[in-house]
Amino acid sequence: MSAPTRSEYRTVIVGAGVIGLYTAYYLARAGAGPILVVDRGFLSSGASGRNGGGVRQQWETRATVRLARESVGAYRRFARDFGVNPWFRQSGYVFLAENGAELERLRRVHDIVASEGLPSEILDSSRVARLVPGIAPEAAVGGTYLSTDGTLYPFPVVWGLYEAVRAMGTEVLLGAEALGVRSTDGHLTGVATTKGTVATSTCVNAAGGWSRDFSERAGLTVANAPTRHEILATEPLKPFLDPMVVRARDGLYFSQTMRGEIVGGLSPPSQNPATSAMSSSPAFLARMAGALVRILPSLASVGVLRAWSGLYDDTPDGLPVLGEDSHLGGFIHANGFGGHGMMLAPSSTARVARMILGERVDLDPDEFGPQRFDGGQPSHATEALQLG
Amino acid sequence: MTNRSDGGRQLPILQRSIRYHRPRAPFCGVGYCTNCLVRTDQRLNVRACREGFPTRGVRATSHAWPSPQHDLLGVLDLLFPRGIDTLRGFRRPAWAVPAYQRIVRRLAGYDNPDSVASPPSSGPPRTRSVDVLVIGYGTSGAAAVDELKARGIDAIAVLDRNGAEGDGTMPGRTTAVFLPPPTRNAPYPFRVLASEGSERAVLVSARKVIVAAGGYDASLLFPGNDRPGVMTADGAFSFERDGIEPFLRAVVFGGGDRARKVVEKLGDRVVAVVAPGEVGPDLARAASDRGIPLYPRSLVLGARGRSRVRSIRIRARSFGPRQTLGADALVLAHRRIPHPQLFFQAGARMVWRPRVGAYLPAVDAHGATTVPGLYAVGSAAGAVDLDSSRASGRAAARAVAEGAEPGVDVTRSSPPEPPNEMQGYYRELLAEPEGFAKWIACPCEDVLLRELRRANEDGYRGIEVIKRYTGLGTGLCQGRYCVPDAVLLLSIWEGRSPPEVGYITQRPPVVPTTLGQLATLETPLSDPEAP
Repeated sequence: MSAPTRSEYRTVIVGAGVIGLYTAYYLARAGAGPILVVDRGFLSSGASGRNGGGVRQQWETRATVRLARESVGAYRRFARDFGVNPWFRQSGYVFLAENGAELERLRRVHDIVASEGLPSEILDSSRVARLVPGIAPEAAVGGTYLSTDGTLYPFPVVWGLYEAVRAMGTEVLLGAEALGVRSTDGHLTGVATTKGTVATSTCVNAAGGWSRDFSERAGLTVANAPTRHEILATEPLKPFLDPMVVRARDGLYFSQTMRGEIVGGLSPPSQNPATSAMSSSPAFLARMAGALVRILPSLASVGVLRAWSGLYDDTPDGLPVLGEDSHLGGFIHANGFGGHGMMLAPSSTARVARMILGERVDLDPDEFGPQRFDGGQPSHATEALQLG
Repeated sequence: MTNRSDGGRQLPILQRSIRYHRPRAPFCGVGYCTNCLVRTDQRLNVRACREGFPTRGVRATSHAWPSPQHDLLGVLDLLFPRGIDTLRGFRRPAWAVPAYQRIVRRLAGYDNPDSVASPPSSGPPRTRSVDVLVIGYGTSGAAAVDELKARGIDAIAVLDRNGAEGDGTMPGRTTAVFLPPPTRNAPYPFRVLASEGSERAVLVSARKVIVAAGGYDASLLFPGNDRPGVMTADGAFSFERDGIEPFLRAVVFGGGDRARKVVEKLGDRVVAVVAPGEVGPDLARAASDRGIPLYPRSLVLGARGRSRVRSIRIRARSFGPRQTLGADALVLAHRRIPHPQLFFQAGARMVWRPRVGAYLPAVDAHGATTVPGLYAVGSAAGAVDLDSSRASGRAAARAVAEGAEPGVDVTRSSPPEPPNEMQGYYRELLAEPEGFAKWIACPCEDVLLRELRRANEDGYRGIEVIKRYTGLGTGLCQGRYCVPDAVLLLSIWEGRSPPEVGYITQRPPVVPTTLGQLATLETPLSDPEAP
């Protein structure tokens, strides 16, 4: 398909990643078509195809724990619902604490997670060593573990959603960049793309690392900041590591995939503005290698197969932006996931879809709404567990 | 040349394929493919071919039971003649999913880090700053080095993957694994990451870089294309050199100079030359001198045999007669691809060259690419023989020495070339009935041709998407042996040109580099000037 087939759509979604496609899926399932999804790249070219596949429910804010728990349920059913298997494997997440203060912080996370009814556990160093075989003795004094957290292959999630929405009549136009919007009296009337302009009263900005760009093209000021994060994968090994392992201090995370590769990354030393393209750096390779070898010394003999990078769509409080913009009616934000779009997509986009359909949702606008940054510093709790 | 059929070592089976446990024998001979992985005391997944096939101190990887020669898991190949569908299978019943996951996970992966007794200790970082870095010390690289020295430039470093040594070479076999775009206005704009042997890593800072990395022989698609005995010309030469008898009776595939070289070196054991198109006059002469029959304009329809090729089936093109040639090897010498990785990584403008069937950097008369300070010489600059390779090396060295700032005229379009010969070849081959034997589109990951075909039928377009959909190109060879052919196939199915089908991003490192090696560069690379 090289151009939209219609001149008018009920909803236009910008971004064919997991957020955009999942939103389209819920809307199409509710019969709220016709829907057009546009994306500047190819399927999986953005963060939906570049993430480490982690799906966790350990968060510092209660609302995020609930969204994550619901997403885990959706991914458990994904293979059956969509006919494509993302190999969602619930083998847990281990958060490591290197000292007493970090353990104290993780304990507070544990209290929130456990109070939501999830089987979170506090680990001492010997249980850490059992869950992470080969870990250096000085690497952790303890940690937390949630056995129902898991990992998946991101690509099949994208394929499954793509096929499902197309089967329901949604148009997905790839290689089409959204250039801006048309509006009358503060209300959206259309979306301009490189493949033509279409009329619509609802547009969802699900552009991930490019969401700030698109909001600005729509004349809006947002707090989103895209940052570049890097990741690597090693040669495939026989399975020896079940859980995803995360360290709070430097954001180190790694897991062993179904194929046996160790896949992981760590937070950049300083903010990596997204101006540089999605490329890798020698400095990351060396830092990540150093971090991995110190934590699991036996990995020194393992070869790195490839490294790549992707964009996090960060927000000042670490929470996504979900809801209608207060300055432009019909412009819906579904962005700012800060590297956690894959793990929060099924539940958060279900709410975005309900908002578009005019239904009530259980999200506090002060916590997730786009206007929360209008008056400077937001008043609610921030989600600081911006890792893995 | 002596026939060592009585004394040589047989082509060993050191590996089983990752999904179907099909027997694998050494294929590429130059350390890229997945077919000769072994482990040593210090390192997993070492390519035996890079170590000269040592008989002691190495063990087969654990990805076979009880041994690569006799692997009971080879039954998977027979049980799943049409392939295992990991994308849509293993979904039901829900209660069995955890068991599927355990089994599949157990079958995946080559080795376990615990099986290495003593991982190498990380030594002090090795760094070096030079005026000019030459990557590759073959014909064109050596010519560039000689010319630079003749012009009084001494600060030269040479990285050579094959350990060829000249003045200024880094000791041992050093492979440049990552050439990021240069940092403008830095005293040393280029910072090149290299892997030395399998222990150390090196960081070379340079003002100018000349890439003379050469090329490699492409693979070929046909049913049974991964059978032991199918090998590249690179492989045949390397196995012969290391005292492995690559074959007794080989069919050589190719119609040009590369095939002629195989015939000239190993001709007493070549039983036929099969070419996708016409046969060049030099090759024809070399073959007729040795009484080797020629089969020009022919398709390779398949290879028979399981643990070793026993025969090769061919057919003259345009629906000619079929024939079976008794042979224990098929040597691929039809298409040589210049290494594109470092140019892509550095951000050089790359141009699809149909005649070569590969991407080459856009260069000016001196070999300057669109990246200031980065030069391409030898086959990457379009050199086709030793003389033009030497000339290109000298021209780049002169431009570097004279400080000329040549520019590539990217607006100048190259003269139109006919489509690559293999495109028409594959179009005709794909019209053949599919048959029962597996076509392995991606040998590292055991991706079947039918999976590519299905992805296309399901509406997925472009090599980047097909890579993510099928896993093609994600294995240890980094896509070297699958992507060039996959691009041609997709171009046929999608009805667009190879550049429209695209190419996979050339991600670092160029060859697998251990975490232990990379970790040694943590301190030097934490420098804020790092790219």
